Amino acid sequence: MNLFSSFTLITLLLLTIPIMTTSSDNYKTSNYPLYVKTTISYAFITSMIPTMMFIYTGQEMIISNWHWLTIQTIKLSLSFKMDYFSMMFVPVALFVTWSIMEFSMWYMHSDPNINQFFKYLLLFLITMLILVTANNLFQLFIGWEGVGIMSFLLIGWWYGRADANTAALQAILYNRIGDIGFILAMAWFLTNLNAWDFQQIFALNPNDSNMPLMGLALAATGKSAQFGLHPWLPSAMEGPTPVSALLHSSTMVVAGIFLLIRFHPLTENNKFAQSILLCLGAITTLFTAMCALTQNDIKKIIAFSTSSQLGLMMVTIGINQPYLAFLHICTHAFFKAMLFMCSGSIIHSLNDEQDIRKMGGLFKAMPFTTTALIIGSLALTGMPFLTGFYSKDLIIEAANTSYTNAWALLMTLIATSFTAIYSTRIIFFALLGQPRFPTLITINENNPFLMNSIKRLMIGSLFAGFIISNNIPPMTVPQLTMPYHLKMMALTVTILGFILALEISNMTQNLKFNYSTNIFKFSNMLGYFPTIMHRLTPYMNLTMSQKSASSLLDLIWLENILPKTTSLIQTKMSIMVTNQKGLIKLYFLSFLVTIAVSMILFNFHE
Amino acid sequence: MLKYIIPTMMLMPLTWLSKGNMIWINSTTHGLLISLTSLLLMNQFSDNSLNFSLVFFSDSLSTPLLILTMWLLPLMLMASQHHLSKENLTRKKLYITMLILLQLFLIMTFTAMELIFFYILFEATLVPTLIIITRWGNQTERLNAGLYFLFYTLVGSLPLLVALVYLQNTTGSLNFLVLQYWVQPLSNSWSNVFMWLACMMAFMVKMPLYGLHLWLPKAHVEAPIAGSMVLAAILLKLGGYGMLRITTFLNPLTEFMAYPFIMLSLWGMIMTSSICLRQTDLKSLIAYSSVSHMALVIVAILIQTPWSYMGATALMIAHGLTSSMLFCLANSNYERIHSRTMILARGLQTFLPLMATWWLLASLTNLALPPTINLVGELFVVMSSFSWSNITIILMGLNMVITALYSLYMLITTQRGKYTHHINNISPSFTRENALMSLHMLPLLLLSLNPKIILGPLY
Repeated sequence: MNLFSSFTLITLLLLTIPIMTTSSDNYKTSNYPLYVKTTISYAFITSMIPTMMFIYTGQEMIISNWHWLTIQTIKLSLSFKMDYFSMMFVPVALFVTWSIMEFSMWYMHSDPNINQFFKYLLLFLITMLILVTANNLFQLFIGWEGVGIMSFLLIGWWYGRADANTAALQAILYNRIGDIGFILAMAWFLTNLNAWDFQQIFALNPNDSNMPLMGLALAATGKSAQFGLHPWLPSAMEGPTPVSALLHSSTMVVAGIFLLIRFHPLTENNKFAQSILLCLGAITTLFTAMCALTQNDIKKIIAFSTSSQLGLMMVTIGINQPYLAFLHICTHAFFKAMLFMCSGSIIHSLNDEQDIRKMGGLFKAMPFTTTALIIGSLALTGMPFLTGFYSKDLIIEAANTSYTNAWALLMTLIATSFTAIYSTRIIFFALLGQPRFPTLITINENNPFLMNSIKRLMIGSLFAGFIISNNIPPMTVPQLTMPYHLKMMALTVTILGFILALEISNMTQNLKFNYSTNIFKFSNMLGYFPTIMHRLTPYMNLTMSQKSASSLLDLIWLENILPKTTSLIQTKMSIMVTNQKGLIKLYFLSFLVTIAVSMILFNFHE
Repeated sequence: MLKYIIPTMMLMPLTWLSKGNMIWINSTTHGLLISLTSLLLMNQFSDNSLNFSLVFFSDSLSTPLLILTMWLLPLMLMASQHHLSKENLTRKKLYITMLILLQLFLIMTFTAMELIFFYILFEATLVPTLIIITRWGNQTERLNAGLYFLFYTLVGSLPLLVALVYLQNTTGSLNFLVLQYWVQPLSNSWSNVFMWLACMMAFMVKMPLYGLHLWLPKAHVEAPIAGSMVLAAILLKLGGYGMLRITTFLNPLTEFMAYPFIMLSLWGMIMTSSICLRQTDLKSLIAYSSVSHMALVIVAILIQTPWSYMGATALMIAHGLTSSMLFCLANSNYERIHSRTMILARGLQTFLPLMATWWLLASLTNLALPPTINLVGELFVVMSSFSWSNITIILMGLNMVITALYSLYMLITTQRGKYTHHINNISPSFTRENALMSLHMLPLLLLSLNPKIILGPLY
């Protein structure tokens, strides 16, 4: 055992210490959040050691620690995979979480259960790391379900609010639908390959892998909020902002994409799966970008942009570039977490106001947040030499030069330009112009917890892409030569989006708000998707369970067929057989007749 | 075997001779001691069974259920204390005696070596249960529930007696251990089909199979807490245990006789889960969730593969502890709110945060969160049914979704949201209750460290 594996394990063990000490006095003091934050920063530093060793020597490793169960021919043990993906993702996740923890110390400082909040966030982080480092499907499933449940608990953090509870339940529902796919894949791998360990699955590399891959695609659709199962992600914004920043932008939602990246040895030979993923991703990225265009809630816009970026990652897997998708996961984490934290800062300062129409002019009041927000937005749109550029530009170039579905490519490009449009919209409405918020608000962003956390991620958003892409071992060779127009395509559509949005915003700012068009309604109502799916399906389902399952079958049919019929037959039979009919008049009459006859007979007896 | 039977019997004089304030503590402590000695049974040192005598034996299939039985008696006693606090001393002692008697019968049922002996004890467990339900239930409907309970089970199991007598006549022995080497494959005739039905129906009613499950919600809802606990945790598992034992004699008939029952179970699993979504009554919800989980066990047993048997055994133990815990939680709500209606117990997290933790853990185990043994059980069942027929994954998956939904619906309705004003002056949760919940939860969590011991025979 060398430093490589031991330091990875130390990283994981370090994180469990604050959980272990829950029962000690440490948990009861107000220092617990600080303690958790410091632990995570230590874990980050520790995790850098194996990562640097990986970058330097490129060694990968699998360790099996604790033998859990052997059933017939399948052996399940606690096993960690330290390969390219986990080694790169662990430090990124820890770095982002570290900042978010610090941010929550500011954002949640007045919450009476802040210690519990930190424990939940930490538990979430641990389950995420289990997911990332797992070497077999069962262990991955532990992390997979763990992040789902932690997301349920954290979205429903303010449990007094009905909306929060609904959103939490919604998240679990969509995730569980995805889990069907996961279970399907597990069952298929078990029955056909008799293996749950990744290296065994990849070594066997089955030919007809359509069914498990579709299962995994369904799982990824649920977890990563792809089209069809996407509505939970914007609803999840009911949770506290640190939760949105950590779970619903940088870590948990990429788990689905991560799963598909893990399974790329199977997808790379399967054209069918690739096309499905490409189309799914393209639809998602365009649809959610379109929904983001007309939203007014700042967190919802960022949530939809997350969804759109997840779609882009899915497109990347669809064009068989899993390493690029992974790079995008890493870079996306930095600026998306920061965007959420900026919005949290704005929301908190404006007394929990989330509507961008009621903001404006914040660049004077909150210069630091403004700077961070603009940098984050630019990084998101793929501004050259910011973090997002290094992955996004490569993705678009790879898509441009690959033999891909032209429609999918077109949709992705449109979505890319929409990214610029809604980013401009946030900047224009929230930061520029005249203030539209109440004047009696005291805006203060000079809290070191807030400043430091955002600052750290801001540096990340500026340089992380450069650093990461310069250091990682080259896994995919980027297309070196391509026509000028293809090379400039990503940049052009983005700039086009910027200019268009700015011009339209400037032009229409003082115009009367027209009666909204159908396209506007489609976008604003999220494509009528929640309206239809969240009304009709539950209504039909619940009516079915009430009327047919409960009333008709259980209370009427089953009750009538056996118990009621039996008792009815018994009653009828006993009535039929018995002599006693309750005809009292007749009985008395016969009595009377008997007496009368006997009397008469006695009288005439001689 | 006498080392379990005699102490259990001696619990009765212990209860009757104890002073009034000591009856609970005495019986609970001794019950716990007995359950600790039962852990010795885990030492199954060979692939064969532990043969205690010519009458009793235990193997890796019955051992977990046996330990669960003994573990549950002290828990039932702990749970019933508040419920009986208004009764007089003799009635309390009588109640405890009934629980002890039930445990005695159950221990002997799970270890019986002879099928007829098993059958007699199987029927004998009905008596104490019936008395507990009809004497100590809360409402008038308890009489009706007792009637349903008795009639469904009896009508289902009487044909078994006939079948057993026939088997005894043809094979000459009803010994489990001998019979498994002795049996001939059954021919495919009408009389054998009826024998299959007679053998299986008794247990299917007990499980209960969908369509024959009407007694279960009624009995669960009307029974006092100890009755609900033992019903959900152990009496239902008697059905599963019996099916696992008796299918060995019924080959190869099960292969095609199983189809209608597997279909009924798969269908019923979805139906009962859907009913859970519309329940307003907390205990009824938990009862229907039991039906849905037991449907999985039926499917697993009828599929008859090693994986499915392991899954069925694990799921029975896991569900036993989980549903019993859910009933305890429902009861602790009932003792405070005095109603089983969920909507009256909203927002309890604000008042009873520790209880909310137990609720959360119980709901999560009920929806089979990895790596709990509930998941191990469910996963194995899903795997085996998938390899039996790929299409079942749709129904199984749907059931997983609905199970998660109603578990969390139950959690959210009772714990989350705004509290109602009439619960302002409820009493805090007692140490007794918290101990009760942790004694349910600890085995669940610890077993997930080593699920092998509850997987039954590993083949």
